[in-house]
Amino acid sequence: MEHTTVILWAGFGIGLLYGAIAQRMEFCLSGGLREWWGEARPRRAAAFLLAMGTAVTATQAAALFGAFTSGDSIYLQPTFSWWVVPLGGVLFGYGMMAARGCGSRALVLLADGNLRSLLVLLCLGVSAFAALTGILAPARLWISGFGAVSLQWVTPSLDGALLSAGWAEAPARLFPGLAVGLGLAAIALGPLGLRKAPKQVAGGVLIGLLVPAGWIVTGHFGADDFDPVPVESLTFVAPIGDSIQYLMLSTGISLQFGVAVVGGVLAGALAASLVSRDFELRGFDNPHDMLRAISGGTLMGIGGALAMGCSVGQGLSGLSTLAVASVLAIAGIFAGAALAIRGPVRLRDAT
Amino acid sequence: MTHPYTTRLSAPPSGAPHPLRRVIGLFAAILFLAAAAADARWERIPEAVALLDGAEPRAGALELDLPTVTQNGSSVPLTVRFPESRGENETVEALYIFAPGNPSPEVAEFSLTPALGNGELSTRIRLNQSQPVVALARTRSGDWLAGTREVRVTVSGCITANQDNDANAMQPRARASQRVRTGQLVDVRTLIRHPMETGLRERDDGTVVPERIIQSFEARRNGETILSARFHRAVSANPYLLFHVDPRTAGGTLELTWTEDTGESASATVEVPSAP
Repeated sequence: MEHTTVILWAGFGIGLLYGAIAQRMEFCLSGGLREWWGEARPRRAAAFLLAMGTAVTATQAAALFGAFTSGDSIYLQPTFSWWVVPLGGVLFGYGMMAARGCGSRALVLLADGNLRSLLVLLCLGVSAFAALTGILAPARLWISGFGAVSLQWVTPSLDGALLSAGWAEAPARLFPGLAVGLGLAAIALGPLGLRKAPKQVAGGVLIGLLVPAGWIVTGHFGADDFDPVPVESLTFVAPIGDSIQYLMLSTGISLQFGVAVVGGVLAGALAASLVSRDFELRGFDNPHDMLRAISGGTLMGIGGALAMGCSVGQGLSGLSTLAVASVLAIAGIFAGAALAIRGPVRLRDAT
Repeated sequence: MTHPYTTRLSAPPSGAPHPLRRVIGLFAAILFLAAAAADARWERIPEAVALLDGAEPRAGALELDLPTVTQNGSSVPLTVRFPESRGENETVEALYIFAPGNPSPEVAEFSLTPALGNGELSTRIRLNQSQPVVALARTRSGDWLAGTREVRVTVSGCITANQDNDANAMQPRARASQRVRTGQLVDVRTLIRHPMETGLRERDDGTVVPERIIQSFEARRNGETILSARFHRAVSANPYLLFHVDPRTAGGTLELTWTEDTGESASATVEVPSAP
């Protein structure tokens, strides 16, 4: 089998697992933050934090054992704008609260029979491509030129900073990898009370482990001498756009890892939803809801393009590389969500 | 009473062609001419016209495999397939690739021998805007074949690092498939680490990076050249070439040589399995 075929099937498999687990545990950052900050029920948000921590520690361990080179990923590109990346995060965070779920959550909800998510996904995919390669792309490139920073480290990440400070590779990866990972896990299990919800603990750890699995698939099995594939892991903004494009142009373009993951998530979540009899068709109650789905999806698409990733893409995959840009993007996403829950521009029923 | 429109649409008595038929015919002629013009892109490439020297190529005879849309114009995968040949005279001996929308239209030229079994060629090319890619090929009997494919190039979704890894330049690698199936060609993949500097790129301080490219590639078997290629600056960094070898006639060791425009060269060997 060609290595590209192996990668597509592996991506589909990772998507299947993600979809099934996320459907069963209702894995969702926006819902979690709404319950945490609005209703003082932090468990679902804690499961997301645990997934983040697991992804960081496991990815750094895998990179240390040479399973892949994280420096080849887009999160560690040498130049990024210090304000466009967090601004994209804020737009994404606000958009995911407006749309009641981020891109990956919308895929799972669609498989549950929630037809509102279809509109969110279409708006997200189209607006992401408008910002990446379409009518908004010149504006994106123009503003990204302002405030561009090039960190003169080995890679623009926490481990890169330590390597540049003269640390050896093992401690430079393990120290921040364990500190961030264990720190997030401790917060989730301790003060946020996740330890009382074993199903959420298991789900969070499993989803966190799918991130290094994605890195190893594209970065190890994809590292063909003659035809290397881009090093990537779980992410949902560009891949949802790619999936829409693939539906329309499949005779002229080749299938990519991200599109295979999106297909896997839909299939996995649909299977889980049918088995657990959660499947139920739902639609919009009123035009106002529809407007929120449209604007939320659009904000997520544009914001995700500016921030180079979504709650999963930057929050799990990006953070797992310890990239400075990912930390900025996540701060932006949390700030955008906070604006939607509290603050002067809060959404009416976000709390 | 007849309606005026029905009157006009009914057939005229004189036996002259129906006016509608004339309109349809005109449309068909326009469509045909438009299609022919779209396929005859080489007519607008001076280098291709000079090459053809009045010969009329068989349009659509070459099959070009390129993505319809690409976000990465710096590395666009291209495969050229030749029509099935009925005898050695119909095999392709020369192939020319053009990208008329680039600063210079020439991309690459190949001279092929029957040892390659008329098998497809793949490489990766640079396209700096949306444009048709044109291929012209000459068979051993002197016939010209042509193929065109439109590619849309969008700006890059992610800004990829432009690392100058000159340190690793000139490292070649090659691999031949080791499984031989009856009646099938063996594929040989070759690649050399090289920046393929176009001489058009500017550094951050505004100075121009001088041109530095791999200019030619040659595959020899028992001292005899079975494939030679001339690369221009529109061949992507780390020039990649996949070609096929007929294991019945050309199995054994291939010596591969890449030569830079500076005159420096690198070589590698690859073992092609033989078939009875």
